[in-house]
Amino acid sequence: MASGFISDPPLSKKKRTNGSAKLKQIKLDVRREQWLSRVKKGCNVDSNGRMDNCPSSKHTASEENRSSCKEMTRKGEDIEGTCIQDSDSRSTINSPDRSTYSHDESSGKDFSGSSSNSISTSCSGNDSEEEDDDGCLDDWEAVADALYANDKSHSVVSESPAEHEAECRYTVLEDDKNPRVDFSKADFKSEVPESKPNRRAWKPDDTLRPRCLPNLSKQRNSPLNPNWRGSRKTVPWAWQTIIPQPSQCPICYEDLDVTDSSFLPCSCGFHLCLFCHKKILEADARCPSCRKLYDHVDGNVGLNIGAKAFCITQSCRTGTGW
Amino acid sequence: MAANTETAQPNIVAPAKKPLPAAKNVDSQSVLKRLQSELMALMMSGDSDISAFPEEDNIFIWKGTIKGSKETVFEGTEYKLSLSFPNDYPFKAPKVKFETTCFHPNVDVQGNICLDILQDKWSSAYDVRTILLSIQSLLGEPNISSPLNPQAAQLWGNQEEYRKMVEKLCKFQDA
Repeated sequence: MASGFISDPPLSKKKRTNGSAKLKQIKLDVRREQWLSRVKKGCNVDSNGRMDNCPSSKHTASEENRSSCKEMTRKGEDIEGTCIQDSDSRSTINSPDRSTYSHDESSGKDFSGSSSNSISTSCSGNDSEEEDDDGCLDDWEAVADALYANDKSHSVVSESPAEHEAECRYTVLEDDKNPRVDFSKADFKSEVPESKPNRRAWKPDDTLRPRCLPNLSKQRNSPLNPNWRGSRKTVPWAWQTIIPQPSQCPICYEDLDVTDSSFLPCSCGFHLCLFCHKKILEADARCPSCRKLYDHVDGNVGLNIGAKAFCITQSCRTGTGW
Repeated sequence: MAANTETAQPNIVAPAKKPLPAAKNVDSQSVLKRLQSELMALMMSGDSDISAFPEEDNIFIWKGTIKGSKETVFEGTEYKLSLSFPNDYPFKAPKVKFETTCFHPNVDVQGNICLDILQDKWSSAYDVRTILLSIQSLLGEPNISSPLNPQAAQLWGNQEEYRKMVEKLCKFQDA
């Protein structure tokens, strides 16, 4: 159903690039109204007819928007080349995969919208932001398109409209049952087999995931593992997270930098930044936490104590130092 | 949020800070940051017994409220306070006063509070929340030995009479 729209807009809109910006604005407004009315009515409880119609109309609106603004940028490119025939053929060839790209994005948005009705205002806010950023978004998408076109052979591109339609049907069908769960499924299924440029965070079980990234699931499971203490030396960052280290100075609420966070002027372990420490030294010179007088030695002492406390793994330093 | 506060800062500072040198300006910026962070933390903490909010045009003056703790003679009462922060806060304590009359051994008729942490025992690690909580606990546990209000200190021994006095003043305030 949506594939009919996809091939049409680039050709028909070719002539009115001047008015396309205005048109785009109007369409965005319409889209926002639809979006808001849908959220107001409540996606889950309301009649199925509404649920079926709204997303699809939204998709076409956004697709048209995207393709029309893409047209603007493309035209700009082609004027340089003065090769209109070429541009026409290029745009028609490229249009299917371009629209799948935009469709994917909009279905992603659908998912976030339907999963929580309460975020409706923030969602609409995102829309307006997107509007503002459209200029750079176009370029970005153009780059993504180019990459995508390079990755895939032309045979795959010709396949994509059918795939795209299947996706659409799939989401609409699933829509009737439960939009919350099935949108995610649809999104996921359409994404995995095509191996598209990844627009999501890495999943822990992702095969392409870089090894250097810290594994959150491991971190969470580690306390359950009885041997985790033994492996402390291999994962020093895990050890550091156990010690409650404030990220901000409790006095001035500025972020603690590396020097500050290794600075422990008092034996009670109260962290503060060097700046606040200096200020306190000028006044009553007592630790804000335990009221003990700060030693009237310059910051070096504190720094060494701090280093000692935190560099447990570096035994050589503690041996030679204190 | 961070962007909002940053843009809001110049508006607040501008009238008060213009005559002062630039070095002072940096200081007041950090005081502002601290006060704004405290306000955020206080609003997020969800304490029902205490609250505080800056005055409309001056973030250095706050209005606070304290509810009397349960199982004390002050149960069910609410007191308004004003907090005035110095330019070198939190290295110096804010000036805290009761705005509503508080019949308490350590509070005088003008509403001045005799509390060590607001004077010589002040620490920069205290904040608005801990101040208000300290005053709230002071209500139930006065220091009788050095009273600002000798009459209240005398009556403290008779809790029933004291409660009646508190209720009477409370009604007087409301009316």
